[in-house]
Amino acid sequence: MVTRDSVATAGSAIGLVSLLFGWLTLKPNRLAAGTSLNLWETTGWGGTAIIFSLWLICFVLSLRGKERRPAAALSITANLIIIIILILAGLIASQLRQEETSLIRISLGSGIWLSLAGAYMVIFAARQRLPNWPVWRNLASWTGLAGIGVLLITGWLNDLSILQEFAGRQERFVQELGQHIILFSGSVTAGALLGIPLGIWAVRSKRVASPVFFITSITQTMPSLALFGLLIAPLSALSFAFPVLREFGIRGVGATPAIIAIIIYSLLPIVRNTFVSLTQIDPAVTDAGLGMGMSRFQLFRRVQVPLAAPLVLEGVRTASVQAVGNTAVAALIGAGGLGWFIFQGLGQAAADLIILGAIPIITLALVVDTLMRNIVRLSTPKGLAGGNQ
Amino acid sequence: MIRLQRVTKRYGDTIAVNELSLEVNQGEVCILIGPSGCGKTTTLRMINRLIEVTSGHIFVNGQETSQIKPEKLRQSIGYAIQSVGLFPHLTVAANIAVVPELLHWEKDRITRRIEELLALVNLNPREYAGKYPSQLSGGEAQRIGVARALAANPPILLMDEPFGAVDPLTRQKLQSQFISIQQKLKKTIILVTHDLNEAIRLADRIAIMESGKLVQYDTPQVILSRPANKFVHDFVGTDRALKRLSSISIEGFVKPAPSVMIDASNREIASVIGYRRYAWVVDKNGKLLGWLDRTNLNEATSVRETMVQGDIEEIAIPNNATLHEALARMLGQGFKSIPVVDEKGKFIGEVTLSDVEAATAEMES
Ligand SMILES: Nc1ncnc2c1ncn2[C@@H]1O[C@H](COP(=O)(O)OP(=O)(O)OP(=O)(O)O)[C@@H](O)[C@H]1O
Ligand SMILES: [Mg+2]
Repeated sequence: MVTRDSVATAGSAIGLVSLLFGWLTLKPNRLAAGTSLNLWETTGWGGTAIIFSLWLICFVLSLRGKERRPAAALSITANLIIIIILILAGLIASQLRQEETSLIRISLGSGIWLSLAGAYMVIFAARQRLPNWPVWRNLASWTGLAGIGVLLITGWLNDLSILQEFAGRQERFVQELGQHIILFSGSVTAGALLGIPLGIWAVRSKRVASPVFFITSITQTMPSLALFGLLIAPLSALSFAFPVLREFGIRGVGATPAIIAIIIYSLLPIVRNTFVSLTQIDPAVTDAGLGMGMSRFQLFRRVQVPLAAPLVLEGVRTASVQAVGNTAVAALIGAGGLGWFIFQGLGQAAADLIILGAIPIITLALVVDTLMRNIVRLSTPKGLAGGNQ
Repeated sequence: MIRLQRVTKRYGDTIAVNELSLEVNQGEVCILIGPSGCGKTTTLRMINRLIEVTSGHIFVNGQETSQIKPEKLRQSIGYAIQSVGLFPHLTVAANIAVVPELLHWEKDRITRRIEELLALVNLNPREYAGKYPSQLSGGEAQRIGVARALAANPPILLMDEPFGAVDPLTRQKLQSQFISIQQKLKKTIILVTHDLNEAIRLADRIAIMESGKLVQYDTPQVILSRPANKFVHDFVGTDRALKRLSSISIEGFVKPAPSVMIDASNREIASVIGYRRYAWVVDKNGKLLGWLDRTNLNEATSVRETMVQGDIEEIAIPNNATLHEALARMLGQGFKSIPVVDEKGKFIGEVTLSDVEAATAEMES
């Protein structure tokens, strides 16, 4: 039976429509207003034909149903589109800059962003069809990104405005990236060290469970900016009352409130999943374990931990991805991290600076997500993963 | 072997078990039965100290259980629960290995034990050792549960509705296996059930409980023929005679019957079965194949062509079945006799409807 893959079709349609939007934006200097150039004005009719036909192939393939072969072909084509678009963009940018003055700024236009978004929609849909082909699945997910990585490292894209923003701030970028990683991973680790025991405690005592879930749920519904703000007042009061705390970096603004807030955010998914993971264990299983003469500790280590681990780690995964995003906002209260570029860019109305912060944040979230998914998969005991086969 | 002395368990105002005294001898099967909520599970779990008694004493092998460390006590008592509770993340082999591992057995010994036990519960070790619980049927899982309870060869077994979650046919098979295993191993067993027929079939003695109290504790025969009070009388029901058949093995009722080889000639048949109309057909190893209606046999046909072949499980009963089963099968199939086979399917003889009737009449008198 042929069932159309509507996500892939929609992605391809977006790709085709994107060709009508501005492809590159030219500005005489960094902050001036720009003029938009079409696809055919930048790449000529040859380039237009290539990109158009690749999108057409995607569109046709997406109508070919959900089997694996078209899905594999689809993911190859979409990755190809990403790489070709960026190769052309880099090429044209360097030509334009040689022809005109070097002050000129060339940014990616909405058409390119739409095309990239469409391509990732197609890739996302296609990789769902390839679960039993892990190699293909990984190729589908990462080829485009790897291609972009190569283009970045070789300097092919250096004439694009984003890279020029980057060139002036290379050290800062590395520093903020590091800060970002330290902030989110440190907070999530602390969240796990706090949340897992809290979850276990909640299972053991009903009296603990309700307040724990009440508080963690309430804080979860709060926007992160509000929570950061709420922490500023008590922390500054604290640091004024006890100046010695300032020596340890405890102030109303900066990393401390950010870390505290992100820990609080990571608590709910971790506590909740720990709680569920332990309560969902069939009571007959614990009963059998104790009845056979396991001690409480043996039961915990040999039965409860292996059965609960996948769900607990799933909670850590949710918390991590969420923390990458929240850390971006933390830049507003002076905690640093990649969000700094976004807010700087917003302040200066420099779109490319915003993108310089946003894209690494999205990439980081994706990498963390994939990494954690694999850890969850590896931690799932075989008897649970397979079911009846 | 197991002795309960005025054991009581209270939960606030409810009394789950009330002044219960019970003694189970070495090698005996004691079956706890009674309406839901009467305290059977509670009684069982107080013996291995999953529940602590409110008052009273429990002795295992003459030693009071409250003096033994719970983990030690439980490792020496096999425990099988109704919902089986196999560890889903462990293979069948690893599930069975749990207690031996707790007892620090050597690897080789554990491996041998696993094979032994899987064979004992009639599952092919090579096929089943590596499977996960999610890949087992309900009946297979229960057998693994029993194998796991037997793993460290405990002298005592506590079983809470071990054949609860399976269809009637599988249940009967598991019961037959239970009987043959118990004949080999001679464990001291306390088993909880809701099924009176199961109790009558498996028990040396039945303990009937009503709201936490023991109302009668005796052999199946006595309970059926002399119920201690109205509760037991009603519990046992009006079809006591029929139920009593469940407690009687067919072994004493199997009579020799004529059987013919599948390649016998007509003359041989005539000499073997004499005036009878039907005869059982066997192969040259004595394995039952089906039956023959002599009126359908004439000069031109052979036994092979005329006989009715059938699945042994359907046409015959094993020699450890009960009169109740034999009767049910004969009535179900509309025959006046049913062939009996041994474990290997070899024909032994037959049980007839008139013999069963005679047995019933004898019990009534
Ligand atoms: N933890 C507990 N707290 C309060 N009451 C309990 C508890 N456990 C059991 N009871 C009560 O004790 C009584 C006996 O329970 P038990 O589980 O022993 O019954 P049972 O005979 O095994 O029943 P069933 O045949 O339904 O399994 C019931 O009335 C039950 O409600
Ligand atoms: Mg019960």
